[in-house]
Amino acid sequence: MSTVEVTGLTVRHRRTVALDAVALGFGTGVHGLLGPNGAGKTSLIRVLATVAAPAEGRVELLGRDVSGHRERAEVRRRLGYLPQEFGYYPGFTVREFISYVAWLKEMAAESVPGAVERAVERVGLADRIDAKVKTLSGGMVRRVGIAQAIVNEPDLLLLDEPTAGLDPEQRVEFRALLMELGTASTVIVSTHLVEDVAAACAEVTLIESGRVAYRGTTAELTALGEDSLEESAGNAIERGYTAALRAHRALAGAGR
Amino acid sequence: MNTWHVSGQLAAQYASGSAAEPDAWSLEKHVESCGPCATRVSAAVRAGTAGPVLAVVRAAVLSSATAPAASRTGVRWGGRTRVAGAREPAGTGWAPRAWPGLPARMVWAAGPALRGAWLMALLLVTAGALILAYGAHFGGARPLLLAVAPVLPLAGVGLSYGRHADPLHEVAAATPSGGLRLLLTRTAAVLAVSVPLLTTAGALLPAAADVPGAAAWLLPGLALTLAALALGSYVGCAAAAAGLACGWLGVVVAPVLATLPRDLAGQLERYVSGPALQGGWAAAAVLCAGLLAVRRSSFDHLEKM
Repeated sequence: MSTVEVTGLTVRHRRTVALDAVALGFGTGVHGLLGPNGAGKTSLIRVLATVAAPAEGRVELLGRDVSGHRERAEVRRRLGYLPQEFGYYPGFTVREFISYVAWLKEMAAESVPGAVERAVERVGLADRIDAKVKTLSGGMVRRVGIAQAIVNEPDLLLLDEPTAGLDPEQRVEFRALLMELGTASTVIVSTHLVEDVAAACAEVTLIESGRVAYRGTTAELTALGEDSLEESAGNAIERGYTAALRAHRALAGAGR
Repeated sequence: MNTWHVSGQLAAQYASGSAAEPDAWSLEKHVESCGPCATRVSAAVRAGTAGPVLAVVRAAVLSSATAPAASRTGVRWGGRTRVAGAREPAGTGWAPRAWPGLPARMVWAAGPALRGAWLMALLLVTAGALILAYGAHFGGARPLLLAVAPVLPLAGVGLSYGRHADPLHEVAAATPSGGLRLLLTRTAAVLAVSVPLLTTAGALLPAAADVPGAAAWLLPGLALTLAALALGSYVGCAAAAAGLACGWLGVVVAPVLATLPRDLAGQLERYVSGPALQGGWAAAAVLCAGLLAVRRSSFDHLEKM
């Protein structure tokens, strides 16, 4: 059963086409969204987060069409979203900040304190919960961003470049958290780091120039890399990524 | 089945740590499957030197197991699994802050403008007008305040909502509270602070015969604020508020800039005095509110990259 279903999704930014008639479905589990910079990953995540409206196409999240106001509000209560550029109020402590987001998400007041502590603990910031956000390092602020996204235990979690600014050890821990979250919810992680996908994601969607270039399991993409005759550096999944991207470009070029 | 059992002497030796190693191994293996011997060894160990330590551990385990589970088991960043007693010094002025009360939530609802430079600007204008009038005996303080007053709520609205004003905009926009509701809450907070402050300050300033009353700016201010929201549904609140503020200052203040403050009262008279003009501003406010109601859904997806 898929929790995210988009058909004919087209997004334009002024004259350029960010997404071109994309059709995708995502179910429970961790999904990696890969692609070169500017491929349309962020555009897709923002549409799924109900922050941006598509020019064309139908978006169905958690079984609801989000073009209606009431359905959209219902979906937003069950949504977690970490934007690529994550802003915060510098004067707020971590606890105040996450509580504020919980309040915006219309969580029941009595459940908020526990949920805030749990979310902060899950990202490993329990000892800094009463520190001001502005005193934290870049990697810690990123973890605060992940905490605000998961505070309502969302059914649909959208993370745009969540590992940016995390050191290697934190990335390993973050992937473990991702896999845990993916057991019950649909988690879509946009990243340009292929190794994040290899370690944490069950399925991969490759986006290139606003189109879906490849879909498959992480194992299939790795196998593609092992079969590939490309003499390139990197591990099997990185070669698989390159091979899938080139195959798509060749196909797109031939179709022109 | 074996018929060997732990003797009382061996149990005592084991508890004190003086049992020979092979005997201790036999004992440990045996008590896994023999209840009576396990009880005998447990009693011996509890009575021995390790007894007090075990009692403390037992109490700690029981208290953490019976206390409400504060955190679910699961993956925890940093791999630090905490013992219940070691979490935080519970109840030391810490619990009351857990869910901020009504005042904190009102500050949250007020949004970024009321926490930042806008509030300072508002206080400066109000205090400045009073100081000019009573400290410097400047006669034109009231017309000046009336001319500037409608711009201040506009600035507050512009600094409250939108990608450029609110660092949290992108996150807030994906929550059920985002969009028009958040914008209206924050506008209400801006008006709730600026209207009483500016009107009271205006009333405290010395009146003059040809100067409109302290409340004369209210309807123009409201109409301009609603116009900023309605126009903001097309171009974004910051741009709309800035444009309207420039428009107001351009029409009311700019023509008499050279002769300030002498002719400002006359300008205000021309734009805000009398029932007809006030009625016009009221009509404009209603019109803008209507337009805003029609355009309400545009704030849900205000996409300006």
